[in-house]
Amino acid sequence: MPRTRSTKPANSPTEDDTSNIDTSTPKALSPSVSTPPKVFVLPKNTSPDARIATLSHPVNSTPSRYLIDPDLGFHEFTRITAPKSTPRSWLLVSDPPSPDSLDTTTPSPEPLNPAFITQNPDLFIATPLDALFLVLPALAPKSSRQAEKQLFLSFDDHLDTLYASSPHLRTLVSRHEPLKTRLERRMAACSDTVSAGPETMYRLSLPKLLSLLVKKAERMCSSPFPSSLETRFIKPALEVPVLSIKREESSVSIVAETSSTQVSSSETTTTATQSTVTESQTTTMDSQSTTLTTPDDDNLQSLSTPPTIPPLLRLQTCLNYLLSSYIPTSLHTPLRSLLSSPPPSVSVPNFEPLTTHLAAIAKLKSEALILRSISDNISRKRGFEDDEEKIAEREEKKRKREEEEKKKKTETRGVKQLRKVDTSGMKKLSSFFTRAAKKA
Amino acid sequence: MDNSHVALVSMLIRSGSFSPYRCDRNIALGINLSSLTKVLRACQPDDVLTLKAEDAPDVVNLVFESKTMDRISEYDIKLMDIDQEHLGIPETEYAATITMPTTEFQRICRDLSALSESVSIECAKDGVSFKCNGDIGSGSIQLRSHTDIDKPQNNVEIDLSEPVSLTFSLKYLVNFCKASGLSEQVKLCLSNEVPLLVEYGMPENSYLRFYLAPKIGDEE
Repeated sequence: MPRTRSTKPANSPTEDDTSNIDTSTPKALSPSVSTPPKVFVLPKNTSPDARIATLSHPVNSTPSRYLIDPDLGFHEFTRITAPKSTPRSWLLVSDPPSPDSLDTTTPSPEPLNPAFITQNPDLFIATPLDALFLVLPALAPKSSRQAEKQLFLSFDDHLDTLYASSPHLRTLVSRHEPLKTRLERRMAACSDTVSAGPETMYRLSLPKLLSLLVKKAERMCSSPFPSSLETRFIKPALEVPVLSIKREESSVSIVAETSSTQVSSSETTTTATQSTVTESQTTTMDSQSTTLTTPDDDNLQSLSTPPTIPPLLRLQTCLNYLLSSYIPTSLHTPLRSLLSSPPPSVSVPNFEPLTTHLAAIAKLKSEALILRSISDNISRKRGFEDDEEKIAEREEKKRKREEEEKKKKTETRGVKQLRKVDTSGMKKLSSFFTRAAKKA
Repeated sequence: MDNSHVALVSMLIRSGSFSPYRCDRNIALGINLSSLTKVLRACQPDDVLTLKAEDAPDVVNLVFESKTMDRISEYDIKLMDIDQEHLGIPETEYAATITMPTTEFQRICRDLSALSESVSIECAKDGVSFKCNGDIGSGSIQLRSHTDIDKPQNNVEIDLSEPVSLTFSLKYLVNFCKASGLSEQVKLCLSNEVPLLVEYGMPENSYLRFYLAPKIGDEE
């Protein structure tokens, strides 16, 4: 133990600070606490019976934390964290007691830790979660064979399956009737029901589930996407490849040939005289040197994105997100096949135009790649990808060699002498000491 | 760790040795030692040294302030990615712990290194002996527990739970001895089949520790 710890000044303001940061006092730091406080944002008006419980995650059935409130229902936690490149810390300070509360109440015990500095500024936000998703694993068939002859089961039987994977749920549900009715209501929403005497029996109905999901996805799309999502999911998918136009005269004829073979040429006077690319920027044209290049009409149309496509893509992105983050994997294939050929009872948006459009873009992209590699073969000595890889490899080698030489030059005398030492019979230290766990 | 991975240096300077000390987040800074030496040469003996690094830093900043003259020199050293694996060193109970004056240890290592490449350290109840065997002959130095009341820094203490005999490379030990200026006493900790620990204590429980793998098997 450092001697300084025992002689810490009693009146230091940072005395009680158990976080790993000290202020200007040169005294020893108190060690960082093993379980630092976490910051949660919880919904308003939670009842005192609200609990954070461990339930199995609907997709991968790993234990995950949920906030369960008898009145407000289920909430999942979303972790919001600062990017690694810009680390942040948080200073957590409890509110000073207001003066009037001091007058009326007996002096409450001083909080043990008036302030905390957390190293990981993670914010956990409780967001409402449809109980439907928690019920689904119990309803979902365990195997494909089971799926063929799924039986109607009573609500309690389904609940028992749920309890088996999430024991916390049993205690909470048995204590709070509203939770049970909430679960049952959500189960009824996605199931076919049969009433057997006083009891209602449930069986998962994929069409019902699908229409629920579609409704959810539509609601997600009803407000505009945040720009970060838009740039990540929507824009790149709809991007049509851009072919470079500027070429030396020698390569023009070849480009013209390739593009003319690929598109069925039907001359359009409007574009033939242009020397720039059309709005969609897909085919190369250079009418100054040749009049051969001609983009055809249907190609052009399929390249510009029709206004109906982005909303559809957004909807599909939302559906994919719902599937991947909340729906058990065993249900993905049946749901997707149902989505592509929906029964008349379910109103599912038609994704046909989107898929054809995406396929067209994919085709164009591959064509562009081929075209580019052809022209690259001519304009440069090596193929495009090949080239870059090799250059990188060569540079890497060169860099390493230079580094080694530099190292040898800057080596200190001591290191040089130790190089000569006979270390035979000496084991490497890594055989004695194990690798340390990486500190965060 | 050294290039042959048989020796390891570990230095801990406790926060109490700094004034002030502030660390918002655990952070590892990879600094090239010869670069650090170059910059530290620019420091005067009585200068106040400040070490600074930002969050996700590219450089470590050193400031030397002269108290007597109004002179402030500031240096930035570029950081490097350390790809060497970090070894976790467990707290070990050693079979033998020898505390002796640093000058004594330095002398033993220097004298014996003139004869041989390696030294065998044998700890027994009656004392500790350093033995070597070389081309020109052999040498042996015996040390017994010794208490000097007037000058406690000259004490030799031997704390032994079982006899230990190990062989080490003298060239490495001679290099370790370059830290002799740090403290008056050095602690050697040995156990069979584990690396030797050479510890130079510093104020505030800070330390500089060297670990050296023993020579096992084909001894001379």
